This record gives sequence, C-alpha cells and structure tokens, in this order.
Amino acid sequence: MSHFAVVDLGYGDAGKGTVVDWLCANESVSAVIRFNGGAQAGHNVVTPDGRHHTFSQFGSGTFQGVPTHLSRFMIVDPLALAAEAQALGNPYELLTVDPDALLATPWHRAANRRRETLRGQDRHGSCGLGVGEAAAFSLVPGSEPPRVADALAPGRLRARLRALRDHLTDELGPLDGPCIDDFVDMMRDFASVVSISDRLPTRDGPCVFEGAQGVLLDEWRGFHPYTTWSTTTFDNVLELTGDIVRIGVVRTYTTRHGPGPFVTEDLTLSYEEPHNGTGPWQGSFRIGHFDAVAHRYAIEVCGGVDALAVTHCDISVPAHCDAYQGMKRIVPGPFRDLEYQERLTRELEACRPVLTPGPPPIGQLLGAPVLVESHGPRTNEKKRP
Amino acid sequence: MGHGRWSNDTYDAAAHYRRARGESAFAYSDSGARKVHPRLDPYRVTLRESRDSDEHPRSTAIAVLFDVTGSMGHVPRVLQTKLPGLLNLLRDRGYATDPQVLFGAIGDATCDKVPLQIGQFESDNRMDEDLGRIVLEGGGGGQRTESYELAMYFMARHTALDCWEKRGRKGYLFIIGDEMPYRNVNAREVNAIIGDRIEGTSTEHIIAELRHTWDVYYVMPEGSSYAGDQTILSTWRKLLGQNVIELEDLDAVCEAIGLTVGLGEGVIDLESGLTDLVEVGSGAREIVARALDRRWV
Repeated sequence: MSHFAVVDLGYGDAGKGTVVDWLCANESVSAVIRFNGGAQAGHNVVTPDGRHHTFSQFGSGTFQGVPTHLSRFMIVDPLALAAEAQALGNPYELLTVDPDALLATPWHRAANRRRETLRGQDRHGSCGLGVGEAAAFSLVPGSEPPRVADALAPGRLRARLRALRDHLTDELGPLDGPCIDDFVDMMRDFASVVSISDRLPTRDGPCVFEGAQGVLLDEWRGFHPYTTWSTTTFDNVLELTGDIVRIGVVRTYTTRHGPGPFVTEDLTLSYEEPHNGTGPWQGSFRIGHFDAVAHRYAIEVCGGVDALAVTHCDISVPAHCDAYQGMKRIVPGPFRDLEYQERLTRELEACRPVLTPGPPPIGQLLGAPVLVESHGPRTNEKKRP
Repeated sequence: MGHGRWSNDTYDAAAHYRRARGESAFAYSDSGARKVHPRLDPYRVTLRESRDSDEHPRSTAIAVLFDVTGSMGHVPRVLQTKLPGLLNLLRDRGYATDPQVLFGAIGDATCDKVPLQIGQFESDNRMDEDLGRIVLEGGGGGQRTESYELAMYFMARHTALDCWEKRGRKGYLFIIGDEMPYRNVNAREVNAIIGDRIEGTSTEHIIAELRHTWDVYYVMPEGSSYAGDQTILSTWRKLLGQNVIELEDLDAVCEAIGLTVGLGEGVIDLESGLTDLVEVGSGAREIVARALDRRWV
C-alpha cells in the first residue's frame, strides 16, 4: 500500500495545506500524519463555501473529516493546540498523538524569543514558538525533555519542567513562564481529551504525510544558519514507513519568510498574499522569481520526487530562473556538514539570477510530472493538468 | 520572574480542554450536589493560610466572597470567566506581589443548606477548581439579609496571612452581594457551621476585628434584586465607610477588584489604573471609573 508524502521544495509557504486537502478529497485517505516541526506550521485551506483555517497542528485534511496523527517526530504545543481545536469546533475525535512526541512549552518560547532578540540584526527568522528550543534541549546530553506521555505522570512532568526551566535560565537568565503546577494541571486536562497513542494509522489505509516548512530550510541541507531545527526532507517519513509516493510542492514563483539567501528575490514583484504577513519573529515575507536551481537542489537532497504539485497557477508571472550567473547547479555537500552549508550560504548571497521571460515550464525544469495544479485557494480550484 | 501572560495562556488552554471534555466549570453544583464540597467546608477548619513560599516569596492575600443565592447565583460563573483577566492585572501589571486568592460563597444560615463555603488561598489554577466546587444555591431568604456576618466571622478568626504577619500589610477582602448582613453573629449558627463555641456578638464588633488584618470591601452589582436599595447600601456604608462599591455591570468585577488592590498597594493612581485597563483591552474603563470615582475622588 502506497502512502503520499508531501514536502515543500522551497522555503515554506508553497501551499502544502491546499495540496493535502486536495489529496484527502480525491483519494481514499485514512489519516494525515505530521512528521516534523510543530505549531509553527501554517497551512491554509479554504473550502468551496469559503470556510478558511490555517492548519497548525491539526492536519490539513481535517475539513475532509480525515483524522490527524501527530507522530513521534512532531513537537506538540498544547497551548496552541487548545486554541486551534477550539477554532475548529474541538474535533478531538479526529486526533491522536504519539506519547514520545516532544512538548513545546512556554519556557521554550520565552528562550526562543530571548535568543532572537539577542541576535538583533542577525535574526534567523524563527517563528518564536520555541519549536527549535524544544528540539535543541532534547539533544542536550543527559536531558530528559518533557514529552506528551508525561501528561499522564504529573510528578515526572513537574520534575522535567523544572529541569528544563533551570537549564534555560542558567543559560539565558530569568525567563517568563507560568507556574509549573499550572502547566502540569493543564496537561492533565489535555490528556483527558486528546488520545495518546503510538499506533501509526498506516495499516488502516493510505495516509498522507504532511510536511512542515520547506526542504531549503532543512536543519542539515538548508543554507546554514538560516534553517529550522527540523528535518524537512522525506527522511522522517522513511523511518515510519517504506512505501511512499513523494510529492514536492512549489509555487509558480518562489517566496521566503525572513532572512537568508534568496537569489531570485525581486522587490518589484508583488502578488496578493492574503495569508502570509510579516511576523514579529520571522521577519518579512519576500517574493522572487521561480528558482529552478534552488528547487532542483531541494529535490536532489531529499532523494528525488515522484510528482509535483504546483500552486498559484492563477498568477501570471513575468519570468523565471533556470540558472544563476556562473552556476547551473547547487552541489549538495556531505550530509551533516554545516561548514559546507555555511559556505553555500555565502556563495548564494553573492549569486545573481539569469532570468528567462515567461512562466516556468515547471515539470520540465524540475524533471518530474505535475500531478495537480492549483488555480486558487479553494479545494475546487485544483485540477490535474 | 513573571508569571503573567503564560499563566493566562496556560489557564485558557486548560479551560478549553475542560470545555471540550464537556465538563462545566461548575461540575460539582451542576451534578446536583446540595452539600458543601469537603474542600470548601468551613466546619472545624483551624486556619485558612496565605503563606510565603520559595516560588511566592511576598504573598498578597486576596479573598473574594460572594452571595450565591437568588439573583446572585450567576456571580461565580462570571467570576470564573473573568478570572484570567484579574490575574493578568495583578501579576502582569504588578498590582500585587504574588497574589494568593481565596474564593468563598455566602448563603443564608437561617434557610439555605449551604450557608458558607470557603476555599483555600491559591496562586495557580486551583483557585479555578475551588470555584468549580461551589454549590450554587439559587434560594435565599428573600428578606434582604444573608449570613454575611458568618463569613466575616470566619475570615476574622480563621485566617492567617503572611502579608500581615511578616510585612504589616493587610489582605484584601471583597464581599460581592446585594443584601445586608444580619445584625448579630449567631452563636448557634457559628457552632453548627464552623464548629466554634462562642458567645453571640454584634456584626459591628466582628467587622472591627476583621479589619485588623483585612481591608474589607462590599461590592454591589447593578442588575441584582436589590441594586441601588438605599437601606442596604447605607447599612454597608455604616459598617465599612467608603469601602462600598456600586458596580453597574458585574462583567467589570475583576477589573474593579484588580484596580482596588493596585490602589491599595499604592502601585497606581486611579487614572493610571484606568489607562492600564484600556491597554490590556478591557472595555470596562468607564464602568470602573464611575464605580471607583465615588470612593477615591
């Protein structure tokens, strides 16, 4: 049985939500599985009758009645989850959460914001939700990070939160946060409505693995240090299941939220962007020409794609980029070589694009068939080419 | 280390999860309970204590007692929804250091089954749980009197406050209701409900005792049965002087309490407090201004 895995071949914001929603509407899908990142995901779905939601932890198949499973690779934010569930009418019956998933807490958020503030002009463009802090703390040798399962063991959760808070305040000074007991009590309420289960729904039927962010922000393959603390390629999916159809999502132009290399950025371009603004922590929303060089690099580092989903086909773009001056291919370095990735960043910051007039022939430029084109935000504005 | 915004977020999330579970915040009362919850039972309680701790080194005791009979039965439900806003004001705006809040409910000892319910001093979400355990009476004597004096007796004799004992600062006691206390503290009722053996004493006398350790305020919300009743208001004014607050809208109760504490602690003046209300997005500025103006200007 084949599952679908959907990743963004750029810097995020390409429209994974709308593609996942379309898959759930057109295929028999038994569940959507989140496999990276956390609540910083912002996947917009608009139904034919105009209902809109920015999916953050609930999967983008929720409007289609498809359940969501948050896998052990997901960083669960219980505060954001409560608010999102409420906005959706509390569809907790459509949600299961792996007990091993890490928790993002107010102390992570406060640390995240403190660090970005200290960086000043050199901000990395974080969303400020503490997802990276939660991932980082889990990698501290000997640390016992708070996890979803701890909701059922208040004593253990309290001890872990205390250790976490002390670790972060030792490093960054006093941080704002709630009383630990308040958080522990809240998690007890969390566990009373959220089903905690390590059973993957992959045996029930085809699933859609919904990625967050973009391959070009991957912690190892992105342009260091302007990356995320998360694996945005198919690697996590492959740890959960073997048989996947790999789908890469791109827009007909390329965008980036916040700082970092962006070779085809063009300040004269301006397309309507109803769901993406300038966040206080991630910086401005930037627009550029379709960057086939960067997207091909993304495809290469994530081991190839079987199909493409192209969004924003209703936008008429003046040009695209198939090569940079003096460079046709961004050469992937050895895996987990951040010095190499940092050199790439410097190289790309000096690159100039070669622009070709006209809209991009995307399938041809990226060497994969286009499965679906999106001509508008709504479910019914998708078509197979 | 501040606890403000995150406490509110945490509190909101917990409330969302509970609501999603389909449980009313007043599950105990809504389940049909007509007996005081053991945690709120004043019988043979030695002391309700507001103490300093490592996490809350400079505690400020705040007690909110409200009439739960007749038209006042909705007060705890409103308080429950407004509680995050109150904590926000007290903590984020620094109106009081380490607030510890006790909730209690007042009925009528002459005819209600649950004439007195007294929670614990809490500095976190457990105060919400105390609210949830309160039995809402809905009865009441219909004689414009409730057993406020019994509640005041308990607060005078059965509380201990570090803010007073260690720092000489009184706690803040708010009594929300629309009726008058009985004239005397009835020895038989005290014995039956609190378990003390005393001689009967006058309400005036017990209030004088109470005011050694507590700043006592009476809040009468409009829209209740006896709102604006001059007999009731003048009775309270005789007992508490200027500490009688007429409030046009119960929804503004937490803001009124918050500002009163801030004013009492000398952290704000009325004008800056009202500006704070606008800044935190409260729509209660005008109502609170009118309610407190009468006292403070």
